[in-house]
Amino acid sequence: MNHYIRKGFCILAAMALFLCLSCVPQSPPGNIVYGLGIKVTIDVIPQRIVSLAPSNTEIMFTLGLGDKVVGVTEYCDYPQATKTKPKVGGFSTVDIEKVVSFEPDLVLATQIQGKTVIPALEELGLTVVALTPSSSPEVLDNTTLVRKITGQNKQASELVCDLRARSEAVIDKTRTLSQDQMPRVFYITWHDQLMTAGAETLANDIISKAGGQNIASNISGDKTINLETVIYRDPQIIVASVGMGAGEDLPWQYVRSESRLKNIQALLNGKVYKIDGDLIHRPGLRIVEALEQMALFIHPELFN
Amino acid sequence: MALDLIKNTTMPETAVLYTIQWRSRIYAIVGLASLLVLTIIVTLAVGSTDIPFDTLYHVLLAKLPFIHVEPTWGSNIETIVFDIRLPRLLLAGMVGAALAVAGTTYQGLFRNPLADPYLIGVAQGAALGAVIGFMLPISWQASCIPLLAFIGAVSAVAVVYSIARVGKTLPMTTLILAGVALGAFIAAITSYLMIASGDRLHGIISWLLGTFSLTSWWQVAIVAPYIFIGTIVICLHARPLNVMQLDEEQAQQLGINVEQVKLILLGAATLITAAAVCFCGTIGFVGIIIPHAVRLIWGPDHRFLLPLATFAGAIFLILADTAARTMLAPTEIPIGVITAFLGAPFFLYLLRQRKRAIF
Repeated sequence: MNHYIRKGFCILAAMALFLCLSCVPQSPPGNIVYGLGIKVTIDVIPQRIVSLAPSNTEIMFTLGLGDKVVGVTEYCDYPQATKTKPKVGGFSTVDIEKVVSFEPDLVLATQIQGKTVIPALEELGLTVVALTPSSSPEVLDNTTLVRKITGQNKQASELVCDLRARSEAVIDKTRTLSQDQMPRVFYITWHDQLMTAGAETLANDIISKAGGQNIASNISGDKTINLETVIYRDPQIIVASVGMGAGEDLPWQYVRSESRLKNIQALLNGKVYKIDGDLIHRPGLRIVEALEQMALFIHPELFN
Repeated sequence: MALDLIKNTTMPETAVLYTIQWRSRIYAIVGLASLLVLTIIVTLAVGSTDIPFDTLYHVLLAKLPFIHVEPTWGSNIETIVFDIRLPRLLLAGMVGAALAVAGTTYQGLFRNPLADPYLIGVAQGAALGAVIGFMLPISWQASCIPLLAFIGAVSAVAVVYSIARVGKTLPMTTLILAGVALGAFIAAITSYLMIASGDRLHGIISWLLGTFSLTSWWQVAIVAPYIFIGTIVICLHARPLNVMQLDEEQAQQLGINVEQVKLILLGAATLITAAAVCFCGTIGFVGIIIPHAVRLIWGPDHRFLLPLATFAGAIFLILADTAARTMLAPTEIPIGVITAFLGAPFFLYLLRQRKRAIF
């Protein structure tokens, strides 16, 4: 009996060691491949990192790497600690000179900057890694990538595992739903010129994972949408993105006050909700929070 | 044939031609007016959602008094037809008419083929007003942007006017130069504010390109009086405008109070342009091309040119807006893109067909 316990313990210890070795590298990663197959060599674990997107900043801070971040963008506002970090300009208007002056050994960019900022930085000899997330699993993959590059510890790996488990828990419940159990959802991001998120956006991914059908899934990207299309597709749930800019909830107020929308199901049944736009548009780790909130809006009966 | 027949009578040749031109122009006015009505009815049936024409026909019939039609459609269809498409079509039509009439007026007043409604600062003034509106707290924007755009447009022209005035007369060349210079100055301020506006840039750019996407009845109601009254005032001054195509001095000698006519026409054209752009943004191209197209086809007499341009402008902008809302449905294209993209080739075609000096 004792023998078996000891044997089992040994196997467990071996597995734990294997896990540690496989997903927690302590040495620099060497060659890594990111995004659209671009290879970057990283020989020393980066100590001075500039983040060129709010989502990258969030990932760094969540992984406990806040003190290695030496520069962020003007839009980086989460968590609070980022507000005191030096700024390197906006998102598409990055001040290259400023980035260089911080002497970073790694710049964390995004794929959108691929044709503009990144070549300029690489020409100056900086190491740039661009993240390309368009769905919530990719966000977690990105986090794993950042963890690898920065030689991060076990705590970070647990965090990622935990987030993965939380999003799996939601998806497990919605996976088996049939088409007519999935309500039609209109996600409104702006009201003066109706804007929504179509296919290939994080919001669309979150809506379908939360068990809803995005009424704008036949258009792709963040686009304007006809008011008549919204009325015709008669959404059962409307989720308004709030907190853009000055922390306002105008899209939500618009939906509730627009007389032409008053006969659609979402308004008849009082199913108009708000979600913090930063959770859902930034491919950071709060995306899991967004998924849980969205699931609660769409299927209160499953998640309450 | 018809010409030969009339020639045999005792009328002198010029009078014959005059009669024929009169008749064909009257036909043109009636024809374009009916085409406008037809355009409205047809485009009412077109949109990102499919509404079969017979359903639309029944929905329209049901609205008429004394006709009872059993509704077989959802209330959503009614909302789409009467509260989304109809006000949008009407606003687009009015704005198109206003820009075309204002363009015709400016081209006539300045005797310059390059004149358009935006020549003396209306667009730049409106844009500055709108951009300032976009900088305000978000909850004020909806009501402030149109108001500030209107104020900006009118006051820009007022400043240009007071700069250009020499004693009691208003030299047109000075007016254009003052307008262009002040326009450039205002545009510089606007560009700076746009760069400084950060995340509101998207809204500003789509305003500048123009859109009718959220038009509702109250906007139609606000804009309509300006455009109707302004257009009628301008059309009533067609005759003096014709005479002013001669030298100003000659016009004065022929008994026209040139300075007063200038003031009335400038004022009316400015007001209708300002009303046109304040809700839907500075839509380009309509105001310069429609007057020329109409002049190419039906000649330069302002008594016909003005009403014909009104209808043609309305039809053109309704069609352009229909393209804007359906080509990439359910998303929208800014209408300024459509007016230039479809309008410019059409105009070049006309230019090539007629092959004659047009101005």
